[in-house]
Amino acid sequence: MSESGQRPEDASGQEVKTTGHTWDGDLCEYDNPLPRWWLWGFYATVIFSLIYWLLYPAWPVADTFTKGLSRVTFEVDGEERSTHWNSRALLVREMQNSDAAQRQQEFLRVIDDSTLDDVLGNTDKLAFVNSYGQGMFGDFCAACHQTGGAGLMGVYPNLADDNWHWGGEVETIAGTITQGRLGYMPDFRDALDAQQRDAVAAYVLSLAGYEGDAERIARGEEIFQGREGGCYTCHRPDGTGLRSQGAPDLTNDIWSNIDVAGAEDDAARRALISQLVHDGVQREMPAFGDRLSDAEIKVLATYVHQFGGGQ
Amino acid sequence: MAQSSTADAGRSSAPVAPSEQYNYAIVKKFAIMSIVWGVLGMGVGVYIASQLAFPFLNFDIAQISFGRFRPVHTTLVIFGFGGNALFATSYYVVQRTCQTRLFGSRLAEFTFWGWNLAVFLGAITYMMGFTQGREYAEFTWQIDILITVVWVAYFLVYLMTLLRRTQPHIYVANWFFMAFILATALLHIFNNLAVPVSLFSLESYALFSGVQDAMTQWWYGHNAVGFFLTAAFLGMMYYFVPKQAGRPIYSYRLSIVHFWALVFLYMWVGAHHLHWTALPDWVTTLSATFSILLLLPSWGGMINGVMTLSGAWDKLRTDPIMLFMITSLSFYGMATFEGPMMSLKSVNALSHYTDWTVGHVHSGALGWVAMITFGSLYHLIPRLWDTQLYSIRMVYVHFFLATIGIVLYITAMWVAGIGQGLMLRAFDEFGNLSYTFIETVVFLHQPYVVRALGGGLFLAGMLLMAFNIYKTVMPVYRAQKAAEAQVAGGTEASARA
Repeated sequence: MSESGQRPEDASGQEVKTTGHTWDGDLCEYDNPLPRWWLWGFYATVIFSLIYWLLYPAWPVADTFTKGLSRVTFEVDGEERSTHWNSRALLVREMQNSDAAQRQQEFLRVIDDSTLDDVLGNTDKLAFVNSYGQGMFGDFCAACHQTGGAGLMGVYPNLADDNWHWGGEVETIAGTITQGRLGYMPDFRDALDAQQRDAVAAYVLSLAGYEGDAERIARGEEIFQGREGGCYTCHRPDGTGLRSQGAPDLTNDIWSNIDVAGAEDDAARRALISQLVHDGVQREMPAFGDRLSDAEIKVLATYVHQFGGGQ
Repeated sequence: MAQSSTADAGRSSAPVAPSEQYNYAIVKKFAIMSIVWGVLGMGVGVYIASQLAFPFLNFDIAQISFGRFRPVHTTLVIFGFGGNALFATSYYVVQRTCQTRLFGSRLAEFTFWGWNLAVFLGAITYMMGFTQGREYAEFTWQIDILITVVWVAYFLVYLMTLLRRTQPHIYVANWFFMAFILATALLHIFNNLAVPVSLFSLESYALFSGVQDAMTQWWYGHNAVGFFLTAAFLGMMYYFVPKQAGRPIYSYRLSIVHFWALVFLYMWVGAHHLHWTALPDWVTTLSATFSILLLLPSWGGMINGVMTLSGAWDKLRTDPIMLFMITSLSFYGMATFEGPMMSLKSVNALSHYTDWTVGHVHSGALGWVAMITFGSLYHLIPRLWDTQLYSIRMVYVHFFLATIGIVLYITAMWVAGIGQGLMLRAFDEFGNLSYTFIETVVFLHQPYVVRALGGGLFLAGMLLMAFNIYKTVMPVYRAQKAAEAQVAGGTEASARA
């Protein structure tokens, strides 16, 4: 901002020595020494680094590197090992020997030695299950079945009600988690025409307690219970379903594939079911048997069992 | 301000008018484009910040979804806003401090069109879903080649201008610009080595794989910060701060020492982005210690800037441009302290993969890079068009909007990052993790809203600047056009006669 060519002055108006170079009219530089604190600060970081290099792996030398003086001691299968500091050993130590890890393993051993019913009947064990299960369910299950097991209409079944496709006994839940499930209903797009599908829909609605056109229901029943549809083979003649096939109970108003209960009127409800009969169903839940330990599967099964629908 | 324009007026009465002595046309173009990209890039930034807080804003439209918009944001602000500002100021500074006209008018013109074409094509291809998947280097290989050619042209223009200087010494700002140009060339070329799928494909495979690839990427990534966003902007600082303050640089000696320390040390630190990964431990140890060693050399620049202002503190009361500059130096000092701390492995174990990193980079990007750019452009633009700023009051408002915006942004990200980091490592009395991952994400919502708000304020300041600059430049531009038309009309009339 000073006029071009003006020399810098100090407080008393005396000219202060610069390097003598001037650029662009008025740009010049003092030649103040390096600030003391700055220089000592820099030396301090140098000393810090030297110590760091002495303690930890640091400099490459030929095809290896300086290992450093710091060591990590950890246990593998009860055997104590010691190595130069490295992040892999730290991870092992953290996962096996840390306080939290040891406490968790202790509880997991208890669960491992208990039957599923033992776990359900013991408040101490359940306290652990509710803590560990919450994390496991959140990380492994909630992405599909949603927080709290509420499920997602059309894709992921609700786990918090007592209407089960495959069974709500704690052993069955554990089996489902271990092996996974393939939910399958064949499509009837070729086997049944639109009118027939509509009739089947009317009959299914009557099973669930909805009223409808008696004649249509009667035609639907014929298809459902006869060779044309053959629906009774999986859903059984009384419509209560067959858990070995994952075939749901049709005699209640609980739906997991289509939102029948939320549909506006009879026509809309029939249209939904008719479409499902046309498309069939294909759903898959992955198996967790090779990803989780037996104890962890027990924890998850008892955790899910407690959502409220356990049988 | 009044004083300086008298000084300028004094200079323009010299035998050679500044417009002829110096190539201002190219500087003007870059300065304007910097503001244009700034508005767009920060606008996209605020939008993606809002998407994180309110995911419905993705609208299921692939082209504007977070994953594609994020590199659009970083490219527009770093290479569009920052890059154009650097071209503008470096071309201006090298001419004025070498007291010579810029070398190669056509070549300089090419750098303008080539660079901005690359930024434009980059943004379009990202939205179409084409990317190399390398952070800050997402450009597909054809654009990479264009950038390389532009950069070589830039290097030539700059070097040749330095060589034909009429001043015996090379001013410190030029060292930093030169280091920036050289290092960026090196980084860009090595990080983008790739084998194209075919001549007509936008896809390519990186030459490196596995940890070497990760290492190369972050060697590039951190030095993009070190040389593009730090060294170059220090060059800007070394010219515009003493100019605006009307004071000499505090210490020539300090500038030499911290310059060499900075350019030497930065090259080593990239691997601190890869702590606790498959990278060998010795690599990350070295990068952590070099990051610590970098602390004081970085502060050297801050000290030289702040001490240059010292003695002119009264100007802070009257000159909002000085406010931008001193604030940028403060944020520079803060961010370069925070960085080495975060590069320590134990701190990094908490901060990595959280929004703390995002907050850190923005305290550098908004606080340092953008603020020093705003200050420099407010100084530069009236001089380029030989006029006065349309409104000083708007500059004040811009300053406060920007500062409040940054503070909100950084604080929100500290809360988000440290909070999530602590949640992810919390154990309960059974030794189990206390929180699921999704719970830590739910926690982020409120900080994300505050961050979007902070970004919105910063963007509002940027829009105000664009308006102010428009009102500053347009009258001069129109007057020039009118004068040219008059001259042309006069010639026509005389021809007819």
